[in-house]
Amino acid sequence: MAFEYVPAIVLLPFLSFVIALFAGKYLPKGGALAGIAATAGSLLLSIWAFLTVRSQGAYQETIYTWASGFGEQPWELTFGVLIDPLSAMMLVIVTLIATLVHVFSLGYMNDEGETGLPRYYAGLGLFTASMLGFVVADNLLMAFMFFELVGLCSYLLIGFWFREDGPPSAAKKAFLVTRFGDYFFLIGVVAVFSTFGTAAFVGAESFPVLAEEAVAGDVTVNTFGFDPTTWFTIVGLLVLGGVVGKSAQFPLHTWLPDAMEGPTPVSALIHAATMVAAGVYLVARMYGFYAVSPTALAIIAFIGGFTALFAATMGVVKREIKQVLAYSTISQYGYMMLALGAGGYVAATFHLMTHAFFKALLFLGAGSVIIAMHHNENMWDMGGLKDKMPVTYWTFLAGSLALAGIFPFSGFWSKDEVLYEALIHGLGGSPLLLGAYAMGLLAVPVTAFYTFRMVYLTFHGEPRTDTARNPEPVRWNVKFPLSVLGVLAVVAGLVNMVPVQKVLGLEGIDYLHQWLDQSFDPLTAHHYAEVSPYSSGYIGGEATTVLVGAAVSLGLALAGLLLATYLYNVAEPTEHTAKLGAIKDVLYNNYYQDEFQVWIANRTQSVASVADTFDQGVIDGVVNGVSSVSLFSGSRVRRIQTGVVTNYAALLTLGLTALLLAFGLLGGWFL
Amino acid sequence: MSAVSIVNAAAAAPLQVVLPEWTAIAPVLILALTGLLLLTIDAIWPGRNGNTTFAFVSALGSLAALTVTVWYLVAGTGQVGGSITLFSEAIVVDGMALFFTAIFTSVAALVVVASHDYLAGHENAASYYSLLMFATLGMALMAVSNSLATVFVSLEMASLPSYALVGFLKKNRGSVESSLKYFLIGALSSAVFAFGISLVYAVTGSLLLSEVAAGFDDGVAGFAGVAGIGVLMIAGGFAYKTASVPFHFWAPEAYEGAPAPISAFLSSASKAAGFVVAFRVFSTSFMPLLDATPAIDWALAFAVLAVVTMVLGNFAAATQENVKRMLAYSSIGHAGYALIGLAALTAGGPHNGDVMGAAMAHLLIYGFMNTGAFLFIAMVEYWGVGRTFEDYAGLSTKAPFASLAMAVFMFSLAGLPVFGGFFSKYALFASAVSAGFWWLAAVGAITSALSLYYYSRVVKALWIEQPNGNLDAIDSKPTGLYAAVIFAAVATVLLLPGFPIALETAEAAASALFA
Amino acid sequence: MSWIAIGALALIGVGIPIAMMVVSALLRPSVPEQGKSATYESGEIPTGTARSFKFNIQYYMVALLFVVFDIETVLVFPWAVIYNDAVSTVGLTRALGPMLLFIGILVIGLVWAWRNGAVEWIKSPRATRRKTQKQDA
Repeated sequence: MAFEYVPAIVLLPFLSFVIALFAGKYLPKGGALAGIAATAGSLLLSIWAFLTVRSQGAYQETIYTWASGFGEQPWELTFGVLIDPLSAMMLVIVTLIATLVHVFSLGYMNDEGETGLPRYYAGLGLFTASMLGFVVADNLLMAFMFFELVGLCSYLLIGFWFREDGPPSAAKKAFLVTRFGDYFFLIGVVAVFSTFGTAAFVGAESFPVLAEEAVAGDVTVNTFGFDPTTWFTIVGLLVLGGVVGKSAQFPLHTWLPDAMEGPTPVSALIHAATMVAAGVYLVARMYGFYAVSPTALAIIAFIGGFTALFAATMGVVKREIKQVLAYSTISQYGYMMLALGAGGYVAATFHLMTHAFFKALLFLGAGSVIIAMHHNENMWDMGGLKDKMPVTYWTFLAGSLALAGIFPFSGFWSKDEVLYEALIHGLGGSPLLLGAYAMGLLAVPVTAFYTFRMVYLTFHGEPRTDTARNPEPVRWNVKFPLSVLGVLAVVAGLVNMVPVQKVLGLEGIDYLHQWLDQSFDPLTAHHYAEVSPYSSGYIGGEATTVLVGAAVSLGLALAGLLLATYLYNVAEPTEHTAKLGAIKDVLYNNYYQDEFQVWIANRTQSVASVADTFDQGVIDGVVNGVSSVSLFSGSRVRRIQTGVVTNYAALLTLGLTALLLAFGLLGGWFL
Repeated sequence: MSAVSIVNAAAAAPLQVVLPEWTAIAPVLILALTGLLLLTIDAIWPGRNGNTTFAFVSALGSLAALTVTVWYLVAGTGQVGGSITLFSEAIVVDGMALFFTAIFTSVAALVVVASHDYLAGHENAASYYSLLMFATLGMALMAVSNSLATVFVSLEMASLPSYALVGFLKKNRGSVESSLKYFLIGALSSAVFAFGISLVYAVTGSLLLSEVAAGFDDGVAGFAGVAGIGVLMIAGGFAYKTASVPFHFWAPEAYEGAPAPISAFLSSASKAAGFVVAFRVFSTSFMPLLDATPAIDWALAFAVLAVVTMVLGNFAAATQENVKRMLAYSSIGHAGYALIGLAALTAGGPHNGDVMGAAMAHLLIYGFMNTGAFLFIAMVEYWGVGRTFEDYAGLSTKAPFASLAMAVFMFSLAGLPVFGGFFSKYALFASAVSAGFWWLAAVGAITSALSLYYYSRVVKALWIEQPNGNLDAIDSKPTGLYAAVIFAAVATVLLLPGFPIALETAEAAASALFA
Repeated sequence: MSWIAIGALALIGVGIPIAMMVVSALLRPSVPEQGKSATYESGEIPTGTARSFKFNIQYYMVALLFVVFDIETVLVFPWAVIYNDAVSTVGLTRALGPMLLFIGILVIGLVWAWRNGAVEWIKSPRATRRKTQKQDA
């Protein structure tokens, strides 16, 4: 029953997009109310669908076949919905956060008297619709199309303040960098089609199933002469290109910090909770395909672990509150990639969920602070906001504790499971994973440090500026989303208390595990565990390993927290970055990543200029040549038409004679 | 090999049970009577400017002929149980004849309705409409001709009124001049055509198409030269009627100089008439020559003509400044496309019916979209805003519906998807490819791509460019012209879902000729 | 071989008129005179250029009507010759009917042309002027 309304989940925000776009300027609040109503409606429908999945199991339906091949390529290109535990959960997350962000926008955009609100809400509506379309997609091509759409919306919203200098160029950067990854994704989609003849995620003829059977030797697919595993690794890495771009993984992460030029609610929705999750979600969606390729998994794990550490270190020295959060986001998605690469499908999904809540919370909290600070984002200008804005402070603190991975906040559970999966699979004979684990572990204290550096600088100590002494108050529309997310950031971890289960032997409190096992047969968590190439190893027993792992990561987190407390929880904190010496500059400059990319861009300029010359000289030359030759010969042809009828008669006769002679002589008529 | 089955089983089709056999040419008779009726009315009340009366009678006559034709098509006259032949086989009624008669009569009806406004204030309306009816009659006769004699006579019957119609605007130098040129080229082509017929007669000893085929069945040993020259000269005659290169010279001038409704009529109906008779003569009589020794490969000759026509028509159209003249050249280009229907025939080829059927279906859709386009020009001439692309700028602000219809015609002519013209071109090229003539399809596709350039110029002028102040003259809404343009647009759009039916009918009719 | 004959015919066909002109040019005395080189225009005096010279349209009208009757005669004559035999073979209706139809169509055309002034001789401007002067006087 509920499943019939699944398209409405996607279409409602689209409707709000249309309304905001065309009628927004006539509506109060610039179309915000339509957006809130639409996303809230989607939220209710999503919850309904979620409950229906719980009671009736997963669901897949092809809604529209928009192209079908024939003959030897009987491919069908379709739009369809796949509602299984994974997508149902994601639907609830996306619609919930979208609703809250819409509400928050009332405070952040409307109350601040921004102009161009219809454009803003139209962008939010279209983004929400596209994101939901991506989530429910039942095949790779449809996923790709919506993947591109969310990228477009991201571009539009980052560049919302297009009259300033920063946002347009940040928007362009985000668009170009993610597009770079998407090229590989697109090739990957084509490769999937040409290999399997289908891009469906689910079903006996879906490409993950076919891949599994092909590796087992049960079916033959077109692998272009490669060994199946090798070829699937190549295809998987091509698709991973899009993932790395969208989820801001090294080396394509550079766009995300710049994307903070966009409005803060946009950052919360798109660049923290949903769109950047799209990459991770995609890997989870087609996890069966990656599971057959150990190499691809190892690469994913390594990229994830490295990004987690790498981004965390950069977050340490940032001055702007949103910059810290941006690097934190990159780092946290690194954890999810690490989990996926380490065979922790549930762990990754779990962290995806908790992170969506607490990072959206942190961004909205930062937004609240930014409102209060009259859009000054520099933490060194803040301080002492704790007493002035208690709701923001306490919710922000809850989110920070979750981010830092402090027991019993949600982030602790999910991050711990991620690290645990990496650890046991690493111990089980995959030393590479141990390396990735080590990086993930090292990132833990750094995360805790930068998180609490941010908290202390913002809320504790003495106010350092006049604005911080007299912050602008925020209204209910800011506090309400914060409170909802604050509660979730605290409790969301309780849905999957695997460590407790393992240590105390309590059965059945790993709800998320059970939940993700309810899907269609090959899309279940335990199936992925079976397919994945890893085996588990333990230090002592399983419970011991759990305890050791948790203790180490919690200890490290506390260490980072304490260091931050020691350094920054004082009345007049000072910059300690000088102590880092030369590293400071490196960190400030983000390891010169941007410079490096610019350098690469400049090095490739000669290549590009050759390509440009080729393009302008040869391609355009041919095109222009064709058109000018066409027009020239056209004008020649015109001249045949002299207007003198005797010329016509002569040409006509000549033409006929030529035809007669040619055919007569060639056909041998006169012999 | 492919002689028309001589006797039709009168009882096989239900229609023939009810009606005597001669009623099979009822559409032709209706057109003839309409023309005579117009003259009679004008003879009884001469000098009275009965534009409306004449238009009404002509429209009624052509619609009646259309109705009967469609009824016959649906009822299966001349299709179920073989074709019907009359007058000692000089006339044949079959699916193809009815299909094309439907094209002629619907174009004629559109043109008549549009002419009512265009002719307002002109003298001699009776002669205009009666000439139009007689020309349509000639075309309908061409469709049913089954002997080279009737072919020639009906072709002249269609041509002579056309000359007069082109020159109908007696006070307009362009109209008169182009009429004279049309006549001179026509006379030359007729001479070539008649000469060709005489040569074929010399070889086969008959003018009946079936007997000509039988004569060629035995081979042309010793007479290959005579037969070959005869066949190619006949092809030349058809090339004139269809405005194909190198017999096309009359077309740009005649279409440009003629009253725009007449340009529509000539470029759509008259061209289709040339094709129907060419299709019939070549598929019925000359198929044996394709694999005779020595071969008289007229299909290759048509292929050459098709390529040259497509290229020349489209290239010349690309450089025109005058919209009407651009359409004239584009109409030449379309003749090239339809020529594929003859060029891609092979001796005993399994795809012959498909190829020719696709060409027929293209001519049907072309009939509507091209007529509509010229009628739009007629409307612009009626308003008197000018003839070049610049003059058309911003017309959509004054006449949005007509401009929308024109955009439909242009995109459909270019063969963009979502319009009827796309499917007909697609079917044509696809059948040419399956018959092994991929290079014809390639040339067609390339020139179609080129054609998009000049067609979109019109749309750009209408919809995107700003009016440059010459549109104030538009103060009236010519109802008839509007109705005809809109109807043609609707037909063009409706032929998108209806295309499979049209194609099926056309292919069945064409395949019957090769059976 | 037959093509050689045709070629020979063509050669002779072109050769004879050329030969006649050459022979007459050799034999005749040369007396240049303007009237000799003037174009023969059916008795009209050729003055001015060909463009400005206009025939009265009614020459054509009459010529066209003549063609109508000419063609009619061409068909009626053989029909009349075999009429009696035709009546005895196919009956009166089938022998007479088509010809009546044919003539009927021509009659419609003729009547139309007549009623539309094709056979009305236009008064010359000078004659009209004289007439009006007479009436005025």
